[in-house]
Amino acid sequence: MSVNNILAMASRVIRQLIRDRRTIALIVIVPIVVMSLITYALPSGTGVLDRYAPALIVTMALLFTFLLTGISFLRERSQGTLERMMASPVSRLDMVLGYILGFFAFALTQVIIILLFTIYALDIEYAGGLWRIFFFLILIVIMAVCLGIFASAFAKNELQMVQFIPLIIVPQIFLCGVVFPINQMNEVLQWIGKFLPLTYGVDGMRQIMLPDSILLTFKETGQILFGLGTDIGILAAFVIIMSILAAVGLRRGQSN
Amino acid sequence: MDTTQKAPKPAIQTKNASFNYRKIKAVDNISIEIPRGISFGVLGPNGSGKTTFIRILVGLIKPKSGTVRTLGRNPSRKLAPHIGYMPQLPALYSELSIRQNVDFFARIYGIKNRAQRQQLVKEAITMVGLWPRRKDSISKLSGGMKQRVSLACAIVHKPRLLFLDEPTVGVDPALRVKFWEYFRSLTEKGATIIISSHTMDDAAHCDRLAFLREGRVIAMGSPDELKHATGSPEASLEDAFLYFVQRKEEERVSK
Repeated sequence: MSVNNILAMASRVIRQLIRDRRTIALIVIVPIVVMSLITYALPSGTGVLDRYAPALIVTMALLFTFLLTGISFLRERSQGTLERMMASPVSRLDMVLGYILGFFAFALTQVIIILLFTIYALDIEYAGGLWRIFFFLILIVIMAVCLGIFASAFAKNELQMVQFIPLIIVPQIFLCGVVFPINQMNEVLQWIGKFLPLTYGVDGMRQIMLPDSILLTFKETGQILFGLGTDIGILAAFVIIMSILAAVGLRRGQSN
Repeated sequence: MDTTQKAPKPAIQTKNASFNYRKIKAVDNISIEIPRGISFGVLGPNGSGKTTFIRILVGLIKPKSGTVRTLGRNPSRKLAPHIGYMPQLPALYSELSIRQNVDFFARIYGIKNRAQRQQLVKEAITMVGLWPRRKDSISKLSGGMKQRVSLACAIVHKPRLLFLDEPTVGVDPALRVKFWEYFRSLTEKGATIIISSHTMDDAAHCDRLAFLREGRVIAMGSPDELKHATGSPEASLEDAFLYFVQRKEEERVSK
């Protein structure tokens, strides 16, 4: 592992995105538009958004970061720069860590926008210190970066990469409890849900963000599945597994 | 006094190296030895296995059978700092400027000192004649210019062994001459250059050549040796290539 290589990778990724003004504008605007749409689509004055906000914030963070990283990494493959880096002294782990660090900066910006916009502009009621929410989201973002890199190993072009959303992200959204409570689902689906990172993301974020009164209802109805410590531990394990898989997946496509 | 000095190991040594993409034999039993300090051309038509062979030598893919020694060792990441590689695609970051691209590759090749890196980046970009345009994005450049930036990225860390996969495609004749002058200056300093090409114009500049066809080496030698082998005093390298292709066909038929 070389810190110099990781920093070189990260600063290159950041420079690339900064020079692409339209992408920067989209990074800022898209989450605001999506969150506003969801908010105003929900019945007003019922406090529904307060209940949904934690799950929505985590889902948005996963979706946007996954897309941003997946497509960027795919371009790295298709334009040949990945091959060039494979021939250089940079190790695969350095590449993944450099990417995590570089994308982290943008994904975090996006997450902060989602978070602050939801809390202040959409005026939701929330508990827990902002820093706790923030640190929890960092885990989600890192996991999503690794997931994006890993998925890009199986796509040959942008069109295929976009189709990974219904394959990798949508099932997680349906099975994580954001749409329907997990304990009311078919048992097989409940079981599958336990292998998906978003389930732990939503579960943890609810415990951090939901005001006590709502949290109590969630607990009583069995919608909180694990302890916060378990959620964080499992998400950390996902991060480690996904980063290793991402590093392994880098080699894919190089030998054919 | 002991005058027997250990000869340096060849830059490249392969023994029966083979690679296939499913049923297609891309590299078929190539045994080759390339001494240090020369320019070596791998010549052949499209699909003859040049790129696959170079990727094996760089260490990007492993041969399915046979052995490969690059600078006396198995190709691996440990050798990477001494190797420069210019792939067939320009392989550049289109949003970044010329200077940012070359600087990135200099950095990942271990040139940590900023002042030294700036100097080397300037030298490499000047060599390819693009210093006045160093701030331009890659997306604004023509195909030939991208090719030049790609070369700058491969040479910026002054490697001992340089692999260039079709480096002169889209490069105008005047600059091509400049490239070859530069390549010669590198080999004079002891570097080894392996170039793949399908143009006989490049071939004439190489110290030694291997003609490739359907993944096999059909002839090897200096450009003059290959021309003389045809038996015709005025033969060009193109004639030589066709001569060896025909000879191989005849051998095949007689078998």
